[in-house]
Amino acid sequence: MVQKARRKALMIALAGSALMMATAAKAQGTLVLYCSVQEEWCRPMASAFEKETGIKVSMTRKSSGETYAQIKAEASNPRGDVWWGGTGDPHLQAAEEGLTEAYESPKMAELHDWAVKQWKGSQGRTIGIYAGALGFGFNTKQVASRGIPEPKCWSDLINAKLKDEVQVADPNSSGTSYTMLATLVQLMGEDKAFEYLKALHRNINQYTKSGAAPAKATSLGETTIGITFMHDMVTMVVNGGPVKVVAPCEGTGYEIGSMSIVKGARNLDNAKKFYDWALTPAAQKLAEEAKSYQVPSNKNVVPPPQSPKLADVKLIDYDFAKYGSSAERKRLLSKWDNDVKKLPK
Amino acid sequence: MMQKAGPASVEFRNVTKRYGTVTAVNNISFTIEAGSLVTLLGPSGCGKTTTLRMIAGLEMASEGQILIGGKDVTRLSAADRDVSMVFQSYALFPHMTVLENVAYGPTVKRVPKAQAHEMARNKLAVVGMKGYEERLPSELSGGQQQRVAVARALVLEPQVLLFDEPLSNLDAKLRRRMREEIRDLQRKLNLTVAYVTHDQEEALAVSDRIIVMSNAVIAQEGAPRQLYEEPADVFVADFIGDANLVEAEVVSVAGDRAEVRLGPVTLSLPARGMKPGKAKLAIRPESLLIVEAGGPNLLPGTIRKCAYLGNHLDLEIATEAGDFYVTRHGTREIMPEGQPVSLAFADYGVTLVPGG
Amino acid sequence: MRPSTRLLFLLALCGFGLLPWYFTEGMGLRTLGWLSGYPLGKGGSGLALGLSGTAPWLLPGGAMLLLAGLAWPRQDEQRAATILLWAGALGFLLFFLQGFAITLRGQGIPWLAALFGAQGAAQAGMGPGALVTLVGMLLLFCHGLAYRGFCRGDVFTCSMIGLLILMIGLFIFFPVVTVLKGALIGNAGTFDPGAFLDRFLDSSIWGLGCLTRDVSCGVAWNTLLLAVLCGAITTLLGLASALLILRTGMPAKWLLRALTVLPIITPPFVIGLALILIFGRTGLVSNVLYEWFDVPRTRWIYGLPGVLLAQVLAFAPIAFLVLIGVVQGISPSLEEASQTLGARRWETFSTVTWPLLRPGIANAFLIGFVESMADFGNPLVLGGNFEVLSTKIFFAVVGAAHNEGQAAVLAMVLLSFTLGAFWLQQRWLGKKSYTTMNGKGDAGLPTPLPRRVSWLASATVIPWVILTVVIYVIILTGGFVKSMGRDYTPTLEHFLTGFRIDFSRGFYFEGAAWDSFFTTVKLAAISAPLTAIVGLLAAYLLKRQTFQGRGALEFSTMLSFAIPGTVLGVAYILAFNVPPIEMTGTGLILVIAFIFRNMPVGVRSGIAGLSQIDKSLDEASATLSARSATTLWRVVLPLLRPALIAALVYSFVRAMTAVSAVIFLVSAEYNLATAYIVGRVEAGEFGLAIAYSSVLIVVMALGIAIIQFGVGERKLGRRATETGAAPVVAGV
Repeated sequence: MVQKARRKALMIALAGSALMMATAAKAQGTLVLYCSVQEEWCRPMASAFEKETGIKVSMTRKSSGETYAQIKAEASNPRGDVWWGGTGDPHLQAAEEGLTEAYESPKMAELHDWAVKQWKGSQGRTIGIYAGALGFGFNTKQVASRGIPEPKCWSDLINAKLKDEVQVADPNSSGTSYTMLATLVQLMGEDKAFEYLKALHRNINQYTKSGAAPAKATSLGETTIGITFMHDMVTMVVNGGPVKVVAPCEGTGYEIGSMSIVKGARNLDNAKKFYDWALTPAAQKLAEEAKSYQVPSNKNVVPPPQSPKLADVKLIDYDFAKYGSSAERKRLLSKWDNDVKKLPK
Repeated sequence: MMQKAGPASVEFRNVTKRYGTVTAVNNISFTIEAGSLVTLLGPSGCGKTTTLRMIAGLEMASEGQILIGGKDVTRLSAADRDVSMVFQSYALFPHMTVLENVAYGPTVKRVPKAQAHEMARNKLAVVGMKGYEERLPSELSGGQQQRVAVARALVLEPQVLLFDEPLSNLDAKLRRRMREEIRDLQRKLNLTVAYVTHDQEEALAVSDRIIVMSNAVIAQEGAPRQLYEEPADVFVADFIGDANLVEAEVVSVAGDRAEVRLGPVTLSLPARGMKPGKAKLAIRPESLLIVEAGGPNLLPGTIRKCAYLGNHLDLEIATEAGDFYVTRHGTREIMPEGQPVSLAFADYGVTLVPGG
Repeated sequence: MRPSTRLLFLLALCGFGLLPWYFTEGMGLRTLGWLSGYPLGKGGSGLALGLSGTAPWLLPGGAMLLLAGLAWPRQDEQRAATILLWAGALGFLLFFLQGFAITLRGQGIPWLAALFGAQGAAQAGMGPGALVTLVGMLLLFCHGLAYRGFCRGDVFTCSMIGLLILMIGLFIFFPVVTVLKGALIGNAGTFDPGAFLDRFLDSSIWGLGCLTRDVSCGVAWNTLLLAVLCGAITTLLGLASALLILRTGMPAKWLLRALTVLPIITPPFVIGLALILIFGRTGLVSNVLYEWFDVPRTRWIYGLPGVLLAQVLAFAPIAFLVLIGVVQGISPSLEEASQTLGARRWETFSTVTWPLLRPGIANAFLIGFVESMADFGNPLVLGGNFEVLSTKIFFAVVGAAHNEGQAAVLAMVLLSFTLGAFWLQQRWLGKKSYTTMNGKGDAGLPTPLPRRVSWLASATVIPWVILTVVIYVIILTGGFVKSMGRDYTPTLEHFLTGFRIDFSRGFYFEGAAWDSFFTTVKLAAISAPLTAIVGLLAAYLLKRQTFQGRGALEFSTMLSFAIPGTVLGVAYILAFNVPPIEMTGTGLILVIAFIFRNMPVGVRSGIAGLSQIDKSLDEASATLSARSATTLWRVVLPLLRPALIAALVYSFVRAMTAVSAVIFLVSAEYNLATAYIVGRVEAGEFGLAIAYSSVLIVVMALGIAIIQFGVGERKLGRRATETGAAPVVAGV
């Protein structure tokens, strides 16, 4: 009898779980959000929008490269609605390949010029939501123990004493790192930039997959120097890591974190609702709460005090149109693959 | 729900079973009359078990037709045939009690549980296993397991009941008792039974008819006595009981009698369609009688070996016609090696064997 | 026609005439908006859409279905069988072909579509109607076969074999073939064998630069090197521990045995993570070495040494479980025989024991080899710049370069490695019997190990045991301190981040991990019983039924064993993102991936279990009027409980810990715990990752307990002394 009862209990449990699956039907109004900033920021964005509109948000966090790949893979049969966040290049690339939808938001007037410029450059297919300058950070303890001067410029990073002490993402998988590649090419000219990258290669301990990973590694001391966007490093400082953020003396590039609506979105109306909402000051303030210190694109948002002031950084005139294009990107990446990555250490 | 169909006949029409290139059963035909017990007898590998399993539906015939109760069941699955089987290993379900085992058939047929248990109890009583209902099979002796297996097979009152070497796991004494019980049961319940065994004694004891199989074909079919006394060929003569197979010569044939010469001896035997010339003679060991030397029509010889076996003696006797195996009942006196003797032939158990 | 066939026919008719043919977005029972316009529209039935001219290509198949109906009144089963065979086969084929011919615009098979009169047409993925109809046609065909006496005339068996072949074809062969096809498609999207050669011969795969210059070698060589080392070391460790446990008076044997269970319920990359916390630049050991002995901090853990160490820790228990069986299987009387012939301990060991061990060692080595090849989590976490095939495939797909062709080529290389190993294993071990157990009592006492061997074994095993213990201490405590390696302040912060529940408005699962956690548990709970059912059913068919092509079927069930998760993940994405079978982004694809990745375990434990169960039990049941389904349920399954538990536990645990395949398949709605944790590790949030992992380990232990309780003990008959059939399996 005990046997029977057990069996019944099991059957009920199984049936129950099957039912859960079957009835996990979609509620009224859903939105599939691809989010390419860090988890801590993605989640509050999703739940705040959910609370505000009652639209159920399904959110996936993946790096911008992964998301771009996914949208491209799904192009014949799109699953996502909005792609929010992540460096602008893949957004531009997606726009260029017609993977995303043009949309003009009523909030456009409230935005900084650089955000609108991004929109114009993509025929309305993607828009800026935040900006951040490229830079690097160093672990103060490690630098001190190594007895080297604090690095201030790109050129300091190829110091032979820093062998195996610099970390940066692989430009093949990370938009951040591609921004560095494009920045250096624009800053130094292509040949010199590659000479520099080859020299840097000797000091790289690991090409990580995600762009922000070197920040954490720097904070933990797993590497002495990490090349990332400055706001990623700022987060580490705020968290109490022994990290100092540097805006390279030679000048640096920047990213425009962007947002696009996926072409063929199944919940187009909800996607537009999210798009508009994401440009409001209320939504953009969530960044600071999530310890993300980018510069928001809505003029009415006061940037967090810890944010690197773009005015204080020597910014280059980054050519998003050129370096965001598919062809240039492929060319630079394969050149980097062949000329730099394959080199002996 | 459970209408009683009564016993049914089984008919094989030119049935062949092949496994790949191996032919296990080759074009056999036979009929088992309703209400009779027929034994499939033969050495291992002769195809008898395959034949039985084809009746059950556990193997599908490659060619030919199988009829049960006149209905073609060739392509029906085992579950769709009204046939039960008692397995060599008994195949009692180890996770079920005796009662559950026996009630299994009815419950599968959706007989209400109480009724199924009632049916099971009845059959257990029939096989004398009352009081063991709640035991697990592992708690029973071999003979008890055998009875439970029989009860389980009987419970659906099948048209045909099959036994696959049911006694081979029992000791000699129990085997004898169980085979009598099976025979009684079959008579009492008027069952059609097909019974596979390789033990010729068992077959002779229980069968209405015996089908002897050899090398995938039927060697001979008939009543036990017919098989023993008139073997169709050397194989049957040798396989059913013991036989001394010797070369002899048919001197003349007159009507249905033949004059047969074996060494100095001349015998008058049923001709069985033989022509004059060389022939095989099958002589049962108990048909050779040891007599004082010197009489007429005797075969002289000498004792080569003599073994004491309790109720009889086993002897090997060398003669000019060859070595003979002889059993001798009614005496316990061991005969010394080398002693000259004469062999007389009884008027039973000596027969001409057709074919090679 | 028999009643069951009639029922089936009605079902198929229902599928074609009533059920929504296509899969549409938002399909569900709560909201019925997608049904607007029924029987036409997006949710229309096949019959209505066919007749109305929306999808006329469905009609030929439908005609075949009606044709099958002609068998309805037939008394003569052989006539009915003829009709069922023809109508079933043709109908199945027609429905199947139209599905593949007509998909999205510009895809599918144009010439075939034209034959269906549907040039340039498009249709959505198959839905419930199509599924029911298609399966119905297949089963009608199978019923026809059963009428003809196939499978001993058993309709159920025939149907199950048909279904199994369909599923294996659809969910193993079709995706793999799609990947291989992908390898031949050039960048331009056209057939281009040249591109294949270019990619295949690329120096990043086969380069041997590391031998002569200071550059890294091709990824294929890296993978091979790692796998060989991993196979060798895990085998050595497994052998040493097996010998120590069985052949010495070593103390604390229970500890060694317990340690072999833990890694099985540990998500694969967690060990890698723990290694970082111990040996990373700021790890525990590095700190101590640096502060006390001034040993400079290095990054040696990132790369081959780290990955190898993590894999050895993760997979040595499997080698141990294989080898302990083999060592146990060596009959002591053989060794005693040797000793009575005057051999010393060492001579006995080297001339008798060792040769008997050899095939088992080969088996353990190959398992370690294949496991290492398939491992994705550890190279991802610890690989640094050391690339292996599984991670390279991943980055080829998700990286900025997004090169599916390259991924397909890499997948081919990896697949050929694992299949090669699998083939070797089959070939090698198929021929040799390496156990000397014969079921008879063996009274001899095992020979103790020669002293030098036992010292050697201890020296190998003890460091391993210590390291494993330390790792689990880290895993269990790491979640409770602020930051392992830097700040040991106790905190619940990580658990709160992941698993906070907001009670202010009823229950609100606020923690970041809840979503993926619920999804994981739900999918694992759904897929485990399904995996067990499919696996055991397949085992039953393979072991108990004879039918043509059984060998091939058995091989293909085992084949999915040799397909690394990354390859399967890529394959599923490529195969199931477009009609006719459109499943990406759903929970279904994850469940199916789990089922077909873990099924071989069910098959193996089922086969092992069935070989202990006398076949005549099934036959007895059959002659008592039970059909195979009843026999399975009432006789076989209760006796297979140990195998059932093994299959359930394994598939549950594997579904909870899988990374490689699912990382491609997770979606916004269906994110999984492992994918989430990998993300946390990547972002350097080790605290949360560790905390989440320890929660998973606890949940898995609970799940195993529930399975044990739910399935219950096998009522013990004469098999009381048998040990459960819990086979050691290399999940690849």
